[in-house]
Amino acid sequence: MQVFKLFMKVLKKNLFTSMIYVIVFVAISIPMARSAAADKAFKDTPIKIAVFDEDDTPESRALTEFIGRKHKLVELENDKDKIMQALYFETVNYVLIINDGYAERLVGSDTDGLFSTQHIHESYATVMVSQLLDSYVGSVRAYLASGADMSEAQQSAADAVLSQAEVTIARSKGSEDLSEASSTHFRYLTYILISVIINALCPVLLKLGKKEFRFRTNCSCMKSASYSIQVFAGSAVFIAGLWLLLMVVSVVQNGGMFTGTAWYAVLNSLIYTLICAAIALLICSFEPSDTVVNLLTQIIGLGSSFLCGVFIPQSMLGEGVLAAAKFLPAYWYVKVMEMLSGSEAFDGSRLAMYMLIELGFAVALLLIALVVNRVKYSSAAIKLPKLTAQPQKQ
Amino acid sequence: MEKTVVKIDNLVKRYGELVALDHFSLEIKEGEIFGLLGPNGSGKTTTINCMLSLLSFDKGNIEIFGKKMTPVSYDIKKDIGIIMQNVVVSEELTVYENIDYFCGLYITDKKLRRQYVDEAIKFVGLEDFTKFYPKKLSGGLLRRLNIACGIAHKPKLIILDEPTVAVDPQSRNRILEGIQELNRSGVTIIYTSHYMEEVEQICTRIAIMDKGRKVAEGTKDELKRMIKNTETISIEVLGLGEDVLAEMRALPHVYDVKYDEKLLVISCSGGKHNLTRALDVLQKRELSFGRVYSELPTLNEVFLEITGKALRDKEE
Repeated sequence: MQVFKLFMKVLKKNLFTSMIYVIVFVAISIPMARSAAADKAFKDTPIKIAVFDEDDTPESRALTEFIGRKHKLVELENDKDKIMQALYFETVNYVLIINDGYAERLVGSDTDGLFSTQHIHESYATVMVSQLLDSYVGSVRAYLASGADMSEAQQSAADAVLSQAEVTIARSKGSEDLSEASSTHFRYLTYILISVIINALCPVLLKLGKKEFRFRTNCSCMKSASYSIQVFAGSAVFIAGLWLLLMVVSVVQNGGMFTGTAWYAVLNSLIYTLICAAIALLICSFEPSDTVVNLLTQIIGLGSSFLCGVFIPQSMLGEGVLAAAKFLPAYWYVKVMEMLSGSEAFDGSRLAMYMLIELGFAVALLLIALVVNRVKYSSAAIKLPKLTAQPQKQ
Repeated sequence: MEKTVVKIDNLVKRYGELVALDHFSLEIKEGEIFGLLGPNGSGKTTTINCMLSLLSFDKGNIEIFGKKMTPVSYDIKKDIGIIMQNVVVSEELTVYENIDYFCGLYITDKKLRRQYVDEAIKFVGLEDFTKFYPKKLSGGLLRRLNIACGIAHKPKLIILDEPTVAVDPQSRNRILEGIQELNRSGVTIIYTSHYMEEVEQICTRIAIMDKGRKVAEGTKDELKRMIKNTETISIEVLGLGEDVLAEMRALPHVYDVKYDEKLLVISCSGGKHNLTRALDVLQKRELSFGRVYSELPTLNEVFLEITGKALRDKEE
């Protein structure tokens, strides 16, 4: 087990930097996933409004009270300079002047001259308050037209405009077993798996596969098969250990052991782990330097995460991006997660197909790595150091 | 009768149009320190790589310890130690762990391995550095570690590919003494080097390679006898006339005479008493002379004459 022991020792030296990824991931992803799960309701932001009631009728006072139920009423002196100053320093977002004759115009159909306003040009507050006032006035008139008296119409209109619809996101069948926090966590796993595996495994494989080191080992009486098995065992132990560690974090994230279809997410992450191992193997085939390995880690990790919908939902990505992303395994990993999280209707056969496509990627990457290695070793002799002999005349 | 340890027969290795080894044959006997010399690209390293089955070859046969060498000849490989030109150790392992790692590729018994590793450490004098990582070692100590990694499993045949490159004189002497000590304990050594003085100092037999072929083989003395020059006489003397130089050229065994202002250089081929005869000519004419040197040819001159190029004209 000499090679296995050496593998572990080299891995140990490189593990610290890689584990930083895991620590940062756990430290960031758990609170992020939990906050994402907690933020289910949209909350209105109250706007600071100063109201000057020049009409001073029950109708205008009812309007002021209505505005106060939704937004924050601010006391302000009716002075042009002070109003401008307040708007500039945003102590007030919107100034509403209820014009004299408001009550009379409200009963009629005349919509002009009800209000005067002062506000920052085209700010979000302008749009929101304008819409609110339009809705209110429209509703009051509708209630009056339907036979209600002014008091009832104002009350009903205020209640109708301020009422909030309760929204419940219905989850499709088969996606109930995976909590939203776990779903987010499993999505982010793609980045952490690829980053840690490339960053930790590549330096070890490159060290052991270094031509002179390999030649030196080939000179010994250790069988090639034994050598390969020990390197494979070392890689398998590391990959399995990392995956198990991340699964333990997932269980903690989930708040308990997985049930039902949530196990598909676990299986999906295992398949993706194999893909990452195959990618690491392929990278090592080209014998890159440490700097290039670090660079590739970022490019592949971040690139595939952004392109395939890890950080941004696939539904928000353009068609062109998604068409290109289909050639990346992370896309199919995220497709499975979208199905398990309810963003896409659950379909067992499609789920299996997505996972098979992922496995296909793993096999293809592994085969390419093996072919590259074979070509490299068969041409290694030509690149042997010190060989500079001249062609001979036959 | 001495046993043959290595027998290379009619070896041909091509890289496309390039012929790296051209019907190369060699026989190395048990207990020899065999020097393999050659200029850049002469095929030394290719020969070694073919011997170790790290490279396939197009034609020929290689036998080591009387058995055909193949990539799966693990019974042969267990008795071979290889010390490569570049230091091949793991930066992540200490001196002790490195030697233990390479020894462990041959010896599975832990107790025996511990004993062998301790002996190897003692042999190369790294007792005080066992817990050091390679980064902390000097160039000379690294070379010694490289050697310890190659010999710890007590091989019967050791191949050293330029083991003293970039090594300080003290470490170099220690390495050369170590090689001779290993040889005295019955180990056969194959040694490649650019340093002629090293080869002269330790090798019992030498083969000179050029363009993938063996151009000469023999002991140091046998090789020196192969070339025209057997003695070079240098005399510091002033004011020699053409008549004196003509008399020198007429002396038996003298084939070349050169004179530049104050140094007379006479090249001789064979014969005895060449120096006495040259000095007689000067004394007869009552010419006074200063320092006198008589030098036998060096291996470098042998090499230069045989291959037509200096061995160290370009570092490999």
